[in-house]
Amino acid sequence: MEILNALVALSNFVLIPAIAYGSQLALGALGVTLIYGILRFSNFAHGDTMAFGAMITVLVTWWMQSHGISLGPLPTALLALPFGILGCMALVLVTDRAVYRFYREQKAKPVILVIVSMGVMFIMNGLVRFVIGPNDQNFADGTRFLISARDFKKMTGLDEGLAIKTTQALTVVVAVICVALLFWFLNRTRTGKSMRAYSDNEDLALLSGINPERVVMYTWLIVAALATTAGVLYGLDKSFKPFVYFQLLLPIFASAIVGGLGSPLGAIAGGFVIAFSEVTVTYAWKKVLGYLAPEGMSPDGLVQLLSTDYKFAVSFVILLIVLLFKPTGLFKGKAV
Amino acid sequence: MSDNPYQDGRGNKDASITNTKGMGTMTPAHRKSGPTTKVDGGPFLIGDTMTGGYGKGPDILHDCTIAVNPGEIAVIVGPNGAGKSTAMKAVFGMLDVRSGSVRLDGEDITRLTPQDRVVKGMGFVPQTNNIFTSMTVEENLEMGAFIRRDDIRETMEQVYDLFPILREKRYQAAGELSGGQRQQVAVGRALMTKPKVLMLDEPTAGVSPIVMDELFDRIIEVSRTGLPILMVEQNAKQALAIADKGYVLVQGRNAFTGTGKELLEDPEVRKSFLGG
Repeated sequence: MEILNALVALSNFVLIPAIAYGSQLALGALGVTLIYGILRFSNFAHGDTMAFGAMITVLVTWWMQSHGISLGPLPTALLALPFGILGCMALVLVTDRAVYRFYREQKAKPVILVIVSMGVMFIMNGLVRFVIGPNDQNFADGTRFLISARDFKKMTGLDEGLAIKTTQALTVVVAVICVALLFWFLNRTRTGKSMRAYSDNEDLALLSGINPERVVMYTWLIVAALATTAGVLYGLDKSFKPFVYFQLLLPIFASAIVGGLGSPLGAIAGGFVIAFSEVTVTYAWKKVLGYLAPEGMSPDGLVQLLSTDYKFAVSFVILLIVLLFKPTGLFKGKAV
Repeated sequence: MSDNPYQDGRGNKDASITNTKGMGTMTPAHRKSGPTTKVDGGPFLIGDTMTGGYGKGPDILHDCTIAVNPGEIAVIVGPNGAGKSTAMKAVFGMLDVRSGSVRLDGEDITRLTPQDRVVKGMGFVPQTNNIFTSMTVEENLEMGAFIRRDDIRETMEQVYDLFPILREKRYQAAGELSGGQRQQVAVGRALMTKPKVLMLDEPTAGVSPIVMDELFDRIIEVSRTGLPILMVEQNAKQALAIADKGYVLVQGRNAFTGTGKELLEDPEVRKSFLGG
């Protein structure tokens, strides 16, 4: 019984939140890695792209809620998500046309594009806060729990409850669908293959008749879809606050680099590595250890290795450790 | 190139923020295609008295003429720095041709971009980085046929028949193949567009003599199908031996022109380029 209780507590406070958070990071890191692989620079504006897509979704969700449109037990945001994706696509295409294309025509070095993306980041950041304000916005509705702690206790008779939020389950399901679609697209379709070809060898892609502008456009569209989805899922799971998305850039970059920049598989693995390390290091293990430790030896303190304020530090320590031993990331990416 | 501040590579080496692998280096002479005009007569593909250089730089080619007809292999040879590859690039539209013209199949294509020349039927195999290393052999061939919308399976079978080893390795990443096999992938990729003319930039660079002989055999085989082949070669002797037409370039000018056999027998050419 004690072991089961420990296991349930662990799942409730570590495993399930980490899986949900990991899926969100993985979706975000996929976008970063795609831009890195195909447009060849690290897009610092990614966090704010996520925020913009999520903001559109939030606005459409509110509009739908005010008109009584809902999805029943599922959050209305799911219905608004396609609109958010479209809005985000429009934003990145306009940005690309207005900003990035100029530098592409100049054949600017990637490092210049990195700095340019930082400028774009500040503009997007301001835009989002201008439209929706800097505060926390709540837009989650529908059934809150798939299984609530009380039901679980009643069902199993354990002391510990296991709660699975609808948004957590939803996050994992949507993430799996997105990733499957993305891999199918990149490996099976003509356009997807042309994107990989362009990433591999730009000159030869040009000689093969692949239109670079088209490849770039498809990349932005996919990145917008991934970023919005990641942003909405994160917002549903926690809450929507523009500044948090800006900060989210750090673990997302850590995920992409840990997994190996330019490798989609690596981005997913990296997302989970970072999420699990963040959650386990900042979790107070008192409860779980209390069940496992022999009688009278249960810890007095919280057994929390680091305060949650330091969670971003954790991603970077992991990043450093991985890069020290495997400079190309877990999956062989392009970074050296 | 260094006059453009955007191309200053300072700080560009941090691979955790910039990805320079596979970055485009091509500098086409025209960013947008100009008009083409119909011309009558002349060889199938000809770079006619071309003079020009890269960007705003000095002239590298001086009244250089290169031509090839169906069923022929034309080879460009010459000492290092003679402008062999440059002449080929001029034909392909990567060099600003300031006077002279490039004509393909009765059409003046001097003002087309390289991409549009591919559409017009030029198959170009660069000297280096001529395959997609991270993609499988089959995907490489598929990408070669990217501009085609019809069924490519037949062409792919033809390429596999020409290079049987590629059929065996079709699901392997092209980057894992040996040097000779990579060149076969590169030529196969160019053949997938069903080009009207095939241009090879030093196809035997960096492969062993045995592989080189085999590659030459394959090139002859391709040419027997009636496809004109224009080739730049370092191994002048072997290349001239299979050439119907040879062009010896020196400092961007036509020094000697003739059939492969004539050039091989020419005492002047032998003395200066073929080592006696």
